[in-house]
Amino acid sequence: MTHQNPAVSDPDPESATAQGGPPESSPAGTPAAHTEPGRTASRWWSERRVPAAILAFVILAACGFMLFDVVRVRTGHTAAAWRKTLADELATRPIDDPWVITGAAVAAALGLWLIILALTPGCWHLLPMAAPDNADTPQAVLDRDGAARLLRDTALRVPGVSHADIRVRRRRINARAQITFRDLETVRTEVTEALTAQLDTLGLAQVPRLTVRARRRP
Amino acid sequence: MNSHSVLNRTLLTIAGLVLLGGGLLVLTGGLDLYRRWGLAPPAGWPLTSPHDTLLPAHDRTRWTGEDWWWPTVIAALAILIALALWWLLAQLRHRHPGRLPVGNPPVDGVGLYDGALSDALAADTARLPGVNEARTRLIGHARQPHATFDVTLDPDARPRDVHHALESTVQRARQSTGWEHLPARATLRVASHRPHRAE
Repeated sequence: MTHQNPAVSDPDPESATAQGGPPESSPAGTPAAHTEPGRTASRWWSERRVPAAILAFVILAACGFMLFDVVRVRTGHTAAAWRKTLADELATRPIDDPWVITGAAVAAALGLWLIILALTPGCWHLLPMAAPDNADTPQAVLDRDGAARLLRDTALRVPGVSHADIRVRRRRINARAQITFRDLETVRTEVTEALTAQLDTLGLAQVPRLTVRARRRP
Repeated sequence: MNSHSVLNRTLLTIAGLVLLGGGLLVLTGGLDLYRRWGLAPPAGWPLTSPHDTLLPAHDRTRWTGEDWWWPTVIAALAILIALALWWLLAQLRHRHPGRLPVGNPPVDGVGLYDGALSDALAADTARLPGVNEARTRLIGHARQPHATFDVTLDPDARPRDVHHALESTVQRARQSTGWEHLPARATLRVASHRPHRAE
């Protein structure tokens, strides 16, 4: 086995001496901002597998067709119709033609989109959880929809609430409750208290600001 | 950010810059912005007049008579295809560490397969209170494996408690393998369910 030697020789000594701190400073697959022992949770960065796969596939397909046809022509066949049309269009259509302008605009927009994808973190649906100062506790994130479900159930447990609509965003949470009985303001206060308490049990690194609106069901 | 993410993002940036640059070049020429805005493109700048075409026939056939042209084109396309294929396949799989060393110092001839350890971690996690379902994977190199937890919580779970309880899971895995570190990441979700009021 080729991987046996490095595997047996040094998993522990190396990671122990090289890092000294928590294992989150491992270069192999963890986000950047976790080297201090008293660590702060930061956003996770997506690996951007899907756009990369799509782009790789498009490049692969385009080059594959081109290579296939080039080799065909080299081996004595005639060029495919699509290639003749393409060469002809590229050679005769002026660049102020609407099609060319449209194509260029689409290409520029797509390019800008790819750059934005490459430079932004992504993972917008994951809320980082507060990391305790302990090397063994994993860095964790909580799914936004999951947080919304837990908060919805909490709001529904308050007497008088018949329907709750919770929108969880990165920095704020909007809760709308429909009240069927009891005093509107009392219920609103109780919902706010319940949600604040539940928000605490979520253990998020950055607790979003909570806005509760209540209205009586017509 | 891991190296995979860095690679993907770098290649996406390059592709984005090529598309954006090409698109803007054609747009500036096609909408005749050089003349309207009084810009003077450098000498030899392509596509400056709206009557230019993207690939004039004499440009396309400039080297087709040369001996080296077609072999070069074929080689370049083949290399591009190989790289694109490699990049595509890299998206479809995770790097698994395979056989992991056990013991501190590592015991010769004893190995633990990543699948066995991740199954054990998943079973251990699934037993925690509030956990509905757990999937675990070990990724990375055999020298520095790290674990990823994908945990689905019960509707009445407390995410912070589950998060803290995962510490014991990682600790047990570390103790039973004799490793000093096992970096881990966890994604917590909540099982989708109808609204319910019962505590």
